[in-house]
Amino acid sequence: MLNFLSLIKNEQIKLYTRMGTWSMYIILFAIMLIASLIVVFFGEADEQKYGDDWQAQVTAETEELKEAQEEMEFAAFDSEIAKNEYYLENDIKPHPYDAWQFTLENAGLAMLISLFTIIIAAGIVSNEFKWGTIKLLLIRPISRTKILFSKFVTVLLFSISMQIFLFLISLLIGLIFFGMNGLNPNIVQMGTEGIEEVSVFSEIITQYGLYMVNLIMMATFAFMISTIFRNSAMAIGLAIFLMFTGNTIISFLSDYDWAKYILFANTNLRQYIGDGSPVIDSMTLGFSITVLAVYFVIFLLVSWLSFTRRDVAGN
Amino acid sequence: MDISMELQNVHKTIGKKEIIKGLNFSIRSGEVFGFLGPNGAGKTTTIRMMVGLMKITSGDIKINGISIKDDFKGAIQHVGAIVENPEMYPFMSGWKNLKHYARMIPGITDERIKEVIKLVGLEKAIHEKVGRYSLGMRQRIGIAQALLHNPSILILDEPTNGLDPAGIREIRQYIRNLAEQEKVSVIVSSHLLSEIELMCDRIGIIKNGELVTVEEVNEEQENDQHVTVKLEVNDNAQAMTVLRDQLGLEVSEQQSILMLQIEKNDVPNLVKRMVEENIEVYEVALERSSLEDKFFELIGENTIA
Ligand SMILES: Nc1ncnc2c1ncn2[C@@H]1O[C@H](COP(=O)(O)OP(=O)(O)OP(=O)(O)O)[C@@H](O)[C@H]1O
Ligand SMILES: [Mg+2]
Repeated sequence: MLNFLSLIKNEQIKLYTRMGTWSMYIILFAIMLIASLIVVFFGEADEQKYGDDWQAQVTAETEELKEAQEEMEFAAFDSEIAKNEYYLENDIKPHPYDAWQFTLENAGLAMLISLFTIIIAAGIVSNEFKWGTIKLLLIRPISRTKILFSKFVTVLLFSISMQIFLFLISLLIGLIFFGMNGLNPNIVQMGTEGIEEVSVFSEIITQYGLYMVNLIMMATFAFMISTIFRNSAMAIGLAIFLMFTGNTIISFLSDYDWAKYILFANTNLRQYIGDGSPVIDSMTLGFSITVLAVYFVIFLLVSWLSFTRRDVAGN
Repeated sequence: MDISMELQNVHKTIGKKEIIKGLNFSIRSGEVFGFLGPNGAGKTTTIRMMVGLMKITSGDIKINGISIKDDFKGAIQHVGAIVENPEMYPFMSGWKNLKHYARMIPGITDERIKEVIKLVGLEKAIHEKVGRYSLGMRQRIGIAQALLHNPSILILDEPTNGLDPAGIREIRQYIRNLAEQEKVSVIVSSHLLSEIELMCDRIGIIKNGELVTVEEVNEEQENDQHVTVKLEVNDNAQAMTVLRDQLGLEVSEQQSILMLQIEKNDVPNLVKRMVEENIEVYEVALERSSLEDKFFELIGENTIA
């Protein structure tokens, strides 16, 4: 165990001694800052500041939405309207835009974290081959299995620390620009069974967690490809290509029932919550979790076989 | 005599190509074993099998009696190695690189790391990034890395590669020291006899994946051995007459130096005769290495396999 912790420490040092890793944090920070400035200058922050006559304001807003709905065929303001009606019925004054809201919206930046994690996962094994250091790494009295898993754990730790960074910095930036409505305010949103009130904190955890599923699957995929081909460029390319085209591929194939066994039909668990609907009707949350687990195990198993069984020969 | 490593009928086939065709030899404790062969002979491939980077197709390698196939951890903990170029993480300092490898084996203290750094003479550059090291410095940090855990067997693949003559001499000295004082068995590969001849106790010659011969490198030739003698004298014509007519030897003249082959036993007699005939002798030199001739004889011209 001590052994394994030292391996992880080694991997962390190698990861964070390189500028590339730090620049990922810097890019993420810059994007959060830009997002906050966009909200400050062009955003809904002001609009949502309701006064004492908030009931009238909300009613007027709802009317507008309803008109727009009728005029434009494709406009879908159902959930907005439902939310507003809920406010009025239950006499809840809508919260103004705040740090929590900002943090919640930034959950979408997990896509960027996925990208970064894929890059790290794609390099962590193959770089050792590229640098030639794999030879010195594997002639220590430590099993290849342990070395491989210390690397995989390092990838997970990286993505988690990026998520935490995203969460904390969003909250901080949000606090500075927008303030905060209490420590854990409730928010009103569309749930599975109509409108519901949930604590903002649990909603943030849910959202971040759901993105994490996609992230881990793609990172594990990139990890596998780079272990097989010992080449990071290929792993990055393939994983990112699939990440961006996966959903399109599924929508082409959604008429076929077997498409539900494809990884990408299952990575977006958001389809089962809120106002989402499954890609293929017969799919359930339990089904998707099982499929994801099977893919995850296969990816790791293939990486493991490739890393522990094959010769380390010259290039 | 203790055996620290034993190769038993080791074969390696990659694809359909048989690269190593049945190697059998042992390394004795505390000896420096030279592993000599032309490019592509299979030295690096054999070393990769010794340290478990490549699987052994058939046969076995035992390190201190432990099979690298059956008990990798048990066997490898006695081994320190450089395989081909000693690559390190270029973005980290020499010190951080050594710390990195030190963490992988329990019980290596900072004192030990410093000791090893001093041994290879890298104190000045140790906090610089390895990416900025010269080839010679990289060779040194490679050796430092291999010595960290006090291995009883040290395997160095072409350690003299890229070193200047002073560097080669230095490495030669501390390899000899390790073997003689710390009883470490050392395997050094090379494709140049001249670079390892002076540090080895025995040299195994490999060609096309087969061991051609294993030779002892003894400083002194046996007395009944035939040696080539080079003779520089003031009067070649007179000397040749004496040597041919009186001693019945075959003499040839190359660039005003006389060359002849005799038994080592007869050399003092030869010198005595010269002096008796009033020939002034400036130099009598014995051609040293019969190994070199043997190497060329065995290897043929330097063709890549
Ligand atoms: N991964 C591989 N696949 C196929 N053939 C290989 C592989 N690695 C090495 N070989 C072949 O095996 C033979 C031995 O190569 P090896 O690297 O062991 O030679 P070497 O004695 O170390 O040579 P050098 O002095 O050039 O370092 C060569 O003919 C080489 O082409
Ligand atoms: Mg070689």
